[in-house]
Amino acid sequence: MITIDIDKKLLGSMGEMPLHVGISIENKSFVALSGQSGSGKTTLLRILAGLERAKGKIVVDDEIWLDEKTFLPPQKRGIGFVFQDYALFPNMSVLENLLFVKKDLTLAKHLLEMTELESLQERKPMTLSGGQKQRVSLCRAMMNRPKLLLMDEPLSALDPLMRNKLQHEILMLHKEFGTTTVMVSHDPSEIYRLSNRVIVLAQGKVVSDGDAKSVLLKTQGSQKFSFEGELLDIIKVDVIFIAIIAIGQQLVEVVLDASEAEVLHVGQSVRVSTKAFSPVISAKK
Amino acid sequence: MNKLPAIVTAIEGEQNLHIIAFDFQGATLKMMGLDLPKGLHVGSHVVLGVKPSHIAIGKNISGDLSYSNQIPATIQTLENGALLSSIVLHVGDTKVQSFITCSSSKRMNLQVGDKVILLIKASDLFVQEVLDV
Repeated sequence: MITIDIDKKLLGSMGEMPLHVGISIENKSFVALSGQSGSGKTTLLRILAGLERAKGKIVVDDEIWLDEKTFLPPQKRGIGFVFQDYALFPNMSVLENLLFVKKDLTLAKHLLEMTELESLQERKPMTLSGGQKQRVSLCRAMMNRPKLLLMDEPLSALDPLMRNKLQHEILMLHKEFGTTTVMVSHDPSEIYRLSNRVIVLAQGKVVSDGDAKSVLLKTQGSQKFSFEGELLDIIKVDVIFIAIIAIGQQLVEVVLDASEAEVLHVGQSVRVSTKAFSPVISAKK
Repeated sequence: MNKLPAIVTAIEGEQNLHIIAFDFQGATLKMMGLDLPKGLHVGSHVVLGVKPSHIAIGKNISGDLSYSNQIPATIQTLENGALLSSIVLHVGDTKVQSFITCSSSKRMNLQVGDKVILLIKASDLFVQEVLDV
C-alpha cells in the first residue's frame, strides 16, 4: 500500500496553485493519472520519484519516503521511471543502458527477450526507432525490479500501432513483476485497456477517482453515446432541420425539430448524444 | 425533441441492462437502457426524451404490436411538407411532436382532432434528465 498525502505550491499559468493530493494506492494496482496540462500530474509523479520535494508524507508499505524528517533520495526508493522522451544514455548500447541500472545480465536478457529487443542489444539508442527506444526505457526501468513504476505519457510520441504493441508489453511487465504502476495518460483507450483505477487532477486537486468506465464514459441521462462538438450550421429541409456539427476531425449531421433549431446557435459548443442502442458499428475498410 | 415529464415506477435489471417503467399522464411507459442514470430510483421525477422521428402513429389499430409504449393522443396541428409531415399531438396537457412521411399521413387520412395512438419502442425512449438528484 502506498499512502500519499502531499502539499506543494506550484506556479501555474493563473498564478500560484496549491497541489494537494491525499490518496492510497493498493499494491500491484495500475493507476492512470489524467487531467489537463498544468493540473499537477507530472509534479505529483516527480514528487513520488523523489525528483522534487514537497510537504507531507509518502509511505510505501512500512517504509517512509517522505515526512517532516525524512526525504529518501530517488535511488533509494525502488522506483522505475519512464519519460516521454526516453532519456537513454546515447553513448551506451541497449544492453549497457540496462546494465547501468543493475549488473544483472540474466534479468537484462530476459527483459530484452520479452520485448523482442535481443537482436538490437548492441545498438546505440540513436539508431533505434521511437518505439524501440521506449521499449529500452521500459526495460531499463524494470532492471531494479521496482516496487513502483512511474510513467509520464510514455506512449504519446508513438504512432497508434506501436502504442498498441507497447501497451501490451507494459501490461505484461506490470503483471510479471507485480509492480505498482502509476502512468500519466490522456488516451481513453490506453486508460481503459491498462488501468484498474483512474485519478483525474484539476487545478492541483483530485476531482475524479474510479474505474475507467465510471470516470471516462460521457453520459447525458441515459444516453451512453455522447460527444462534444461545435455547431457549424442549421439548415431547414422540408418540415425538419438538419444540424451540421464538427466532432474531432469529422463532420456529422443530426436531425432537429423546430423547437431545438430555435434554441441552438451556430458556433456554440454542443453535446451530441444518443442511446447505446442506436449506433451501428462496421469495420473500417 | 419531445420532453415528457414522468415518474419512475419500477426498475428491472440484468447486469448493467435495465428496463425502467414510468408513469406518464396515467399511462405506463417503458424504456430499455444500460447503466442507470445517476441518482435514478423508483419515485424519481424525470424528463423523458424521444425524437419526433422515433414516434409512429396508429389509427384504428387492431392486433398485437410489440411497441412497449402505446399512448392515446389527439392531433392538434398537422403540417405537410413536400416529403414529411410534422404532426403535433396532445397527450393530456403535454405536447408531443411526430415526424412521419407525407404519404403515410395521406394514406391514413390524418386530420386535426383525430384520436390516435403514439407508438414508441422502449429502445427509442431515453431519460433526458433526472430532476430530483
